[in-house]
Amino acid sequence: MNSVFTKTLCGAAFAALMMSASAYAEPAKPECIAGAKPGGGFDLTCRLAANALLEATQISKPMAVTYMEGGVGAVAYNHVIAKRGSDPNVITAASSGSALLLAQGKFGQYDETAVRWLGALGADYGVLVVSADSPYKTLGELVEAYKASPEDFAIGGGGAVGSQDWMKGSLLAKAAGQDPKKMRYAALEGGGAVLTALEGGHVKVGSGDAAEMVKHHVAGKVRILAVMAAERLPGELADVPTAKEQGFDIEWPIWRGYYVGKDVSDADYEWWVNAFETASKTPEFSKEREARGLFEFTLLGKDFEDRVKADVERFKILAKEAGM
Amino acid sequence: MNLEYLWQGFAVALTWQNLLIGFVGCFIGTMVGALPAIGPINGIALLLPIAYTMGLPAESTMILLAAIYCGAEYGGRISSILLNVPGDAGAVMTALDGYPMARQGRAGEALALSGLASFVGGILGSIGLALFAPLLSGLAIGFGPAEYFVLMLFAFATLGSMVGGQPAKTLIGCVLGLMLATVGLDATSGAYRFTFNEPELGDGIEFVVLVIGLFSISEALIILEHQGRGMTVIRELGRMTAQMSDVVKSIGTTLRSSVLGFVVGVLPGTGASVSSAIAYTTAKRISDTEGTFGKGDVRGLAAPEAANNATACGAFVPMLTLGVPGSGTTAVMLGALMLYNIQPGPMLLVERPEIVGGLVASLFVGNIILLALNLPLVQIFARVLTVPNWLLVPGILVLSIVGVYSAHSSVFSIYLMMSIGLVGWLLRKAGFDMAPIILGFVLGRVMEVNLRNALAISGGELSILFSSTICNVLWCMALLVAILPLYLSRRAKRRIAAKNLAIAE
Amino acid sequence: MSEVHHPSSVTVRLIGRVSAICLLVFAIAYGVGASGIEYSFASDPLGPRVFPVALAVILGLLSIWYWFSPGFAEGFPTGPLLARVLAVPVVMVVAVALFEPAGFAASIFILTLGAALIFGAPPAKALIGAVGHAALWWFVFSYLLEVYLPAGALFG
Repeated sequence: MNSVFTKTLCGAAFAALMMSASAYAEPAKPECIAGAKPGGGFDLTCRLAANALLEATQISKPMAVTYMEGGVGAVAYNHVIAKRGSDPNVITAASSGSALLLAQGKFGQYDETAVRWLGALGADYGVLVVSADSPYKTLGELVEAYKASPEDFAIGGGGAVGSQDWMKGSLLAKAAGQDPKKMRYAALEGGGAVLTALEGGHVKVGSGDAAEMVKHHVAGKVRILAVMAAERLPGELADVPTAKEQGFDIEWPIWRGYYVGKDVSDADYEWWVNAFETASKTPEFSKEREARGLFEFTLLGKDFEDRVKADVERFKILAKEAGM
Repeated sequence: MNLEYLWQGFAVALTWQNLLIGFVGCFIGTMVGALPAIGPINGIALLLPIAYTMGLPAESTMILLAAIYCGAEYGGRISSILLNVPGDAGAVMTALDGYPMARQGRAGEALALSGLASFVGGILGSIGLALFAPLLSGLAIGFGPAEYFVLMLFAFATLGSMVGGQPAKTLIGCVLGLMLATVGLDATSGAYRFTFNEPELGDGIEFVVLVIGLFSISEALIILEHQGRGMTVIRELGRMTAQMSDVVKSIGTTLRSSVLGFVVGVLPGTGASVSSAIAYTTAKRISDTEGTFGKGDVRGLAAPEAANNATACGAFVPMLTLGVPGSGTTAVMLGALMLYNIQPGPMLLVERPEIVGGLVASLFVGNIILLALNLPLVQIFARVLTVPNWLLVPGILVLSIVGVYSAHSSVFSIYLMMSIGLVGWLLRKAGFDMAPIILGFVLGRVMEVNLRNALAISGGELSILFSSTICNVLWCMALLVAILPLYLSRRAKRRIAAKNLAIAE
Repeated sequence: MSEVHHPSSVTVRLIGRVSAICLLVFAIAYGVGASGIEYSFASDPLGPRVFPVALAVILGLLSIWYWFSPGFAEGFPTGPLLARVLAVPVVMVVAVALFEPAGFAASIFILTLGAALIFGAPPAKALIGAVGHAALWWFVFSYLLEVYLPAGALFG
C-alpha cells in the first residue's frame, strides 16, 4: 500500500516534472531567422526579440540571428516550412509586409496557415509626406489638388507596385477618387531615396514609414501630412494628425512579429508566447522597442494568429480593388 | 573647398579597428599583387563576402577593399622585378627596367626605389582624390531618375574607348552584364523575371556569386592551363635600400608620372595598365638621352610604379562622385556598396560622408602602412612567389566556396557560381574581357530602374530625359566620349595611309 | 610551354563564329523569355518587358557584328590538358555535394586534395597540403572569423 502510494506519487511527480520541463524549458539553441540582409527590417525585428528575451532573462544564452535573404522573406518562409517545420529553437521575423505578399501569392505555394504565428512586439505606421517647401499643409489640401490634376503628382515610395508604399499611395489616389492604376508612381530604393527625390523636386509626394520619416520631419526637410494610425503617435509626432482626424479612413499599421514552424508542439509554442509576454512587460523592453523606432503593439498567440489571417483577407480585397 | 568630410573620415580611419582592417588589407593586397596568378579583383572578390558576413560596417569594408586595391598596385612590382612576370596589369611596364636591375644584382635597390615611387604616387593621388571628391556634391540634389539614366548612358559610352581593340566584344560583355542584372524581382512592377520558379533567384543573381565565378573560378582554370611556364625567381636581392643618387635622379619622373597617372585614373574606362604605359613612354621620350631605358634605368622603374598607384586613387573619383566605376576593380567596390543597400551616386558624400571620408582618409593611412610593409618586409612577399600553384589554387577555390556560402547559407549559390565560372572561362578563351560584364551588371539595375521611374514620373514623355541642364550636359559628354575615339582612330589610320602612300610614291 | 595554344587565324575565326552563333541563340531565347514575363500591371509606361527585350535585340545585332569581326582569341586546350581543366569543376561538384552532409572540413579536404593532384602535386605532398588546408580554413573560419559553416557528420 505504502509502496504503491510512493510509486504513484513518484510517477505523478515525474509526470509533472516532465510536463514542466517541456512546457517551460527554454530552447537549447535559440535562433532567429531574418529573411533579409543584415541591417534590414527583419534583422531589426530579430534583434528586438533577441535583446528583449535576454534582458528579461527568458533565455540564458544569446539568440543567434541567421540571415536568409530572398524574395522579401519568401526564401526564409519556404525554408522554415520545408526544413525547420518542427524545430522549436527557431523563430522567424515577419511583418505586415509578409502578410501582404502572402495575400498576393508571392510566397510560393504556401499560404498563411503553413506556419504558426507567434506574436508581434511592435509596429510602425505609414505616412504621407511632402517636401518642406510644398504648398500643401494638410492631407485634405493634397487630396483636393490631386483630384484636380493627378498627373502633376508623381508619388515616390520605397517599393514596387503592390508593395506597402505603393498601397499607401493607392489609398491617396482612391481618397481623391482616382484610379490607382493610373497613379504616377516611382519605385525608389528605400526611404532615403524617397527623401532625396522629394528634396530635388523629382517627386511631389512621398510614401513611407513614420519611424524613418520622423527625423527628417523634425529636421525640417519634409512635412508629414498624416500618419496612418488609429490614434496620434507619441513623441515628436504628437502634433501630426492622423488621416482619420482629417476625414480620411486610411490606416496602415506595419506590425513586426514572428512565426514558428507548423509542427512545433503546443508546449513549445506556449513557451515562446509566455516568454514574449513576460519580456514585453519589462521597462527594458520599451527602451529596446523605442530604440528601433517602433511604437507599442503587442499582440500574442491566438490573437496574433487571428490578426494575420484578417490582414491577409483585407490585403486580398485591397489588392483586388487596386487592380492587382 | 569644404574638406570637413575628410576630417570626419580621419576620425573613422584612425579607430583601432579600422587601422587593423587597413593593415590586414594592405598585407593581403601586397600579397595578392605579388602573386602573378591573382590580381586585385580576385583579392577583393574573395574577401568581400567574408567581410560582409562578419558584419563589418560599410565603411570598414570599403577601407579593407581600398587597402587591398592599393596594396595590389604596390605588390605587383615584386614579381615584375624578381620574376619578369607582372603581378598585375599595372605592373607590366615595371618589368622593363626592374628585371634588368635585378639581373644586375640590384633587386633590393629596385624594390626599395619602386616602393618609394609607389608611395609618392599613392600619396599624391590621395591628395588629388581628397580635393576632387567634394566637387560635385553641390549638384547632387539635382540628380533625379532622368539624370541618373543619362549618367549611366555616359558611363557605357566611356566603355567604347576602354577596350579599343575589340569593341564588339566589349559591348557584348556589357549587354551580358545588363541581362544578368534583369534576373529576379523587378523593383518597379514586382514581377519575377527569369527566375524559373526558383525562390533563390527571386532577388536576382547575387553580386558576390557573379564576381567570384567570373574572376576566381575562371582564373583557377586559366592558371591550370598556363601552368609550367618556366619561371625563375631571382633570390639574390643585394642591398635593400635605394641609393640617394638614384632617388634624386628619378624624383622628377616620379612626380610627373604621379600627376599623369591620377589624371588617367579619373577618366572612366582607363586603368593602371594604360597609365603605366603612358608614364613609361613619356619618361622614356623625355629622359632617355643615353639609351639606358630597358637596361635597368631607375627612371624607367619609377615612372610606371608612381603612375599605377596614382591611377588607383584617381579611379575612385568617378566612383565616389558620380557612382560610375572607372575600372573593373572600382566596379566591384560599387557592387560592394550596393550589398550594403547603399546607392552610389552624387548623393553619397552628402548622405554618407563617413564612408567617402573614411575611404579617402584610409588611403593616406594605407599608403604609409604600405610603405612600411614594402620596404623592410619585402623579403616576406618575395618568398610568397615560391608558393606552388597546387597549394595556392586549392586555397582560392576554398575561399570562393566559403565566400559564397557564408553570404547565403545556400549550396544553390555555390553551384550557380561554378556555372558562371565555367561560362566565364569559355568567354575568356574566346577573347572576352570580364570587366565589362561586371560594369554592365552593376550599372544595369540602376539604369533600368531610373529610366522607368523617369518615364513613370513624366507619364511616358521622353522629353524628361532632356529637361534639365545636368541631363543635357551628360548627353553632350556621352556623345563626345563615344565619337572622339572613333574620330581619333580614323584620323590615325588616314595618317598612316598617307604615310604609306608617300613611301610608295 | 607547348600545351598552351597559339591559335591560327582560322581557329580564331572558327571560335568567333561558334561563339557568335551561341550568343545569337542566347539572345533569341532571352528575348522569348522576356516577352513572356508575367505581371498584373506596371505603374510605369515601359513595364518589366521592354528593357530586357531591347537588350535581346541589341545582343542579337552585336553577335552579328561579332561574326564579321572576331577579334582575337586565346583558343581552347585539347587532349589531356582539357581533361584536367574539366576535372576541376568535377572535383568541385563532389566537394560541394558533400558540403552540408559531410561537413565543411571533410569537403575542403576532398576539394584541396583533388585540386592539388590535378595541378600536378606529388600525392604525398597533396595529402599533407589537403590536411593543412582543411585544418587551416576550419580554424580561420570557425574560430577566428566565426563564419557559420556546416560541421557535418564527421566533426559535428
